[in-house]
Amino acid sequence: MKHTLEMRNIVKRFPGVLANNNVNLTIQAGEIHALLGENGAGKSTLMQILYGFHSMDSGEILIDGETVRLGSPKDAIALGIGMVHQEFMLVRRFSVVENTVLGLREGNGPLLDLRRASEKLKDLSNRHGLALDPAAEVGLLPIGVQQRVEILKLLYRDARLLILDEPTAVLTPREKDQLFGVLRKLREDGRSVVLVTHKLAEIMEIADRVTVMRDGQVVATREIGSTNGQELTRLMVGREVNLRADKSAQKPGAAILQVEELRVRDETGHEKVRGLNLEVHAGEILGIAGVDGNGQSELAEAVMHLREIKSGRVILKGADVTRLSVALHRTLGISYVPADRRHVGSVTEMSVADNAILGLQRKYRRGIFRGIREARESARGLVARFGIRTGGIDFAAGKLSGGNLQKLILGREIMRGSAALVVEHPTRGLDVGAVEAVWGELLRARQEGKAILLISAELEELLNLADRIAVMFEGRIMGVVDAAGASVEEIGLMMAGITAPGAAAAGLGNKEAHRGETL
Amino acid sequence: MNGPQFAMTAFVVTWLTASLRLAGPVLLAALGETFAEQSGVLNIGIEGTILLGALTSFLVSFYTGMIWPSLLAALLVGIAANMILAWMYVTVRASQVVAGLVFNVLALGVASAVYRKALGNSAVPESIAMFQPLHIPFLGNLPVIGPVLFGQTILFYLTIALAFVAHFVLFRTNFGLALRASGENPAAADSAGISVYRMRYAGTLISGAAAGMAGGYLVLAQVGLFRESIVSGQGFIALGIVIFGRWNPLKATVAAMVFGACDALQLSLQIFGTHVPPQLLLALPYIVTILAISGLFGGKAVQPAALMAPYIKD
Amino acid sequence: MAKLFERRLTPSDSPIAIFATTAAAFLTAMLVTAFLFLSYGASPFQAYFALFHEPFGTLRGFGYSLVRTSPLALIALGTIVSWRSGFSYLGFEGCFVIGASATAWLALLTAPGARIGPIPFFLFLPLAIFVGFVAAGLWAGLVGFVRARLGGNEVLISLMSNYVAIFILQYLVSGPMRAPGSLPETRILPRATWLPFILPGTRAHAGILIAIAAAALVWMLLEKMPLGYELIVTGFNAAAARYAGIDVGRRIMLAAFFAGGLGGLAGMVEELGSQHRLMDGINGGVGFVGIVVALLARLNPVAVIPTALLYGGMSVGADAMQRRASIPSSITFILQSLAVLLVLAFDALRYYKINFSVFSRGAPPTATEEASK
Repeated sequence: MKHTLEMRNIVKRFPGVLANNNVNLTIQAGEIHALLGENGAGKSTLMQILYGFHSMDSGEILIDGETVRLGSPKDAIALGIGMVHQEFMLVRRFSVVENTVLGLREGNGPLLDLRRASEKLKDLSNRHGLALDPAAEVGLLPIGVQQRVEILKLLYRDARLLILDEPTAVLTPREKDQLFGVLRKLREDGRSVVLVTHKLAEIMEIADRVTVMRDGQVVATREIGSTNGQELTRLMVGREVNLRADKSAQKPGAAILQVEELRVRDETGHEKVRGLNLEVHAGEILGIAGVDGNGQSELAEAVMHLREIKSGRVILKGADVTRLSVALHRTLGISYVPADRRHVGSVTEMSVADNAILGLQRKYRRGIFRGIREARESARGLVARFGIRTGGIDFAAGKLSGGNLQKLILGREIMRGSAALVVEHPTRGLDVGAVEAVWGELLRARQEGKAILLISAELEELLNLADRIAVMFEGRIMGVVDAAGASVEEIGLMMAGITAPGAAAAGLGNKEAHRGETL
Repeated sequence: MNGPQFAMTAFVVTWLTASLRLAGPVLLAALGETFAEQSGVLNIGIEGTILLGALTSFLVSFYTGMIWPSLLAALLVGIAANMILAWMYVTVRASQVVAGLVFNVLALGVASAVYRKALGNSAVPESIAMFQPLHIPFLGNLPVIGPVLFGQTILFYLTIALAFVAHFVLFRTNFGLALRASGENPAAADSAGISVYRMRYAGTLISGAAAGMAGGYLVLAQVGLFRESIVSGQGFIALGIVIFGRWNPLKATVAAMVFGACDALQLSLQIFGTHVPPQLLLALPYIVTILAISGLFGGKAVQPAALMAPYIKD
Repeated sequence: MAKLFERRLTPSDSPIAIFATTAAAFLTAMLVTAFLFLSYGASPFQAYFALFHEPFGTLRGFGYSLVRTSPLALIALGTIVSWRSGFSYLGFEGCFVIGASATAWLALLTAPGARIGPIPFFLFLPLAIFVGFVAAGLWAGLVGFVRARLGGNEVLISLMSNYVAIFILQYLVSGPMRAPGSLPETRILPRATWLPFILPGTRAHAGILIAIAAAALVWMLLEKMPLGYELIVTGFNAAAARYAGIDVGRRIMLAAFFAGGLGGLAGMVEELGSQHRLMDGINGGVGFVGIVVALLARLNPVAVIPTALLYGGMSVGADAMQRRASIPSSITFILQSLAVLLVLAFDALRYYKINFSVFSRGAPPTATEEASK
């Protein structure tokens, strides 16, 4: 692609859904074009059509006025279009250079020439300021560096248009700044960048133009200079929303859940939680902020003993439960809403009724048999009480929308009457209505006196729901602030591993050095 | 040389010679299976494919008396049969274990029906022309290693050569990289412009070709006749050897030799008259393979990440 | 925009769709096999008549069908328990052999003058069930242990364990349990240990009752008991099971034990009901055909008995066919496995919805077709 790319009247329907409805989009050479929209607005579908992953039902794609055919990613690559997916498309057990040349045919015919590719790769990475060791195994690299591999892969193919899908979701603020630096350089180079995102601040910071999508349609395209955050939000959600949850003032009670000097490793043996302490009181929501991958999931799983604990203690209502089984954790009063609702929190192949008793299967029984009638009764109660929209309790749970499935899981975990509740990314990927419902339920549980540990990457969510916010970085708590008086800047700094002024600065130099090497 | 020493040498020579001889067909099948598994397909159907290959080579050799065309026919039948399997695995996206297993029953039915159709129900098995051990001048006369290393059939040397070729193709070519990417992260391969379906078809068909040839190897270089029980789990052993060899053709070669040594021990000890129950020795290769892949030794083998996971692209 | 076939995101799981695809697959397999009959110079109609008349149209043949049905059904039930728990066990040939050997050993102990001596049948039977079940249960449980605790691949290990079991059987009948005589086999089992015959004038024995009872128990376990719920959750999604406080490793070992035990019962039933002595080759592929039965029954315990009867009957009919029309009986293997392969292939059809409206209104060109003009 040399100059402009145009998508005209794109229509794509999936069974039951019109994902793209007559979409028009023009991208100029040398611009950073943001594509803004909520989950399900159709931005990913549109980009996957552009990258040849999906076929379109009708419409036309033109480069410099000429119609092009994009039947597969191969076509897209040949036309100079490249994409960095939200989930990186890297083969973890391959080296950087192997990942780079994957799918290319060059040089020696059928033979691999990794040495020459490494040279070229080094050259490229120097030119664009993306330091990399071509021989390193990709799976062992930090997330930020893996993203760099993805971008280099595109540059190696001399992509003129780079599509980046939610590139900052996994980055620290400093890594994000680095990335934006690279993107600006690409723009100077005359390349185009499409930034798919829902983060307004980032759009205002880096984009030249923004196209807003809603319900599969383009709502508007604006020059950044002639718009503002409020207008974009309104365009994106179709109404002025100011997500604000009303949190009643409430005095927290006794400490219910305590974590002391907890240390946990991940599957590869890396220590992900490194001596972590926290305390959640009855009637309190303790928020855990942090960039994904700083040990939050490992913390949640360790609290439930779903993950092996290296050392430290988990204390529930004064009793040490560290090494007890998951089932005993549940019996003694910890509930858990995992981040992955479709693969952990529910069994999508089973019915709503069967999912409503997941984790409670031994409670609903009659002698040696299941108390099926009672279980169904409680499932019906759950559906009514939490307003779960379903085709009935015999409906497969996998067919529920994300929001309704989450309400089912959250409802189940709340209704079991545990004193403590661990909640991980409860609104990730949900639409605004569902977010409001989930927030309401969490606040209601707080009011009922539950001790809630809320892990989230959305600061907005934490500021609205939590009483206190603990910021997690590389397996430790960087600091704890009162949500009422917290500033986004302060939390953001701690998320990047920089202790806020006034907080203890132990070990900071060390971390700085470490970051210097990975960024 | 005194008596016991001579007997010992004779024992070792028979044992090692038989080890390599028996390792051949399973190694050949394992080499092909490595391609299938590296592309993300666990092809259990090689057991049945070997049987079909054995039958084909037997019939062709029986009717024509020509050895090489018999081997080629076995290879082609292996590819054709695995077209069906590849279609089930890749296009239909059926469970690979189920499709492969049921295919083996199908192959048994086909082989037995065709054999009876061709030769009737005669109780006496017909024998055919076979590959003979080579006599390599000078090298073949070396003590011990002469007969062991240089007295095998041409098929053995061909198989060893194929192991090196397989290794080269998997790790030194674009095709090998694309194939392995399809088994490790099919979405990433797809995104890089590789047709995962095509790679998995290729992997399955290569394993079919090798398994068909392995059947020919069994008949043309080892047994010389056909019976329904001729394969008796050697395809499954090849699957074990792939794991044992960590999805690497050269390591699989070593693994196949170890298997062959166990299998041959049983033959040699029987010849030399021991009191160990022959069944224990017969079971030995299976037990060794079970132990090798059970994760008891040397940690768990890390298989291709997307092995057995059908790839869905819409 | 209407297309005749519209793709769905998830397959239709209505009972009608499932039955329709299964039946269509079976009929297609029969059609293909009909051509095979032709190649043997036989009329397909006569061949199919022979195939189904003998087992289902004659009393004697029906008795034989029931004899073949029992072990197939028990192995299919074992398949259901293990596969629905996410444990892809394929070692039923071995379980069958182990179960048969253990019960034969027990039965021989009750021969007059043997270690235990004659005991009444009502005491012997529960003991035999226990011994056959536990011996094969532990045999399969070992594979469950390897999978649950060491992470070994149960598919390959169980496949290979079959051969080890068969060698154990060969050792037993040629060594410790061998009867005097030229053949490697045991003495005939004491008459008192035989399962009673249930249909006068046939070989049908009480094994079929054991199989029916087992089907009822497996149904009860999976549908009505908390343990069954936990097994099914484990099978669908081990991560969710762990999350729900289910000890996944133990459930897998338990499923392996149950599955092996059912496979052992199959051996017991065959031994006490039909073979009445232990010898090499009693398994003859029943462990794999049983899995095929379970697959055609779609892992549903209720459908197992009729499906096993169909396959058991077909094998009886095949023998008759071979005798009379000299068509090899192995053709039924082709028919039986082809049916399941086609079920798998036809399942892809359940991803499509048929738009009958297309016929009523003359199909308009689809958008893509328009665009490509």
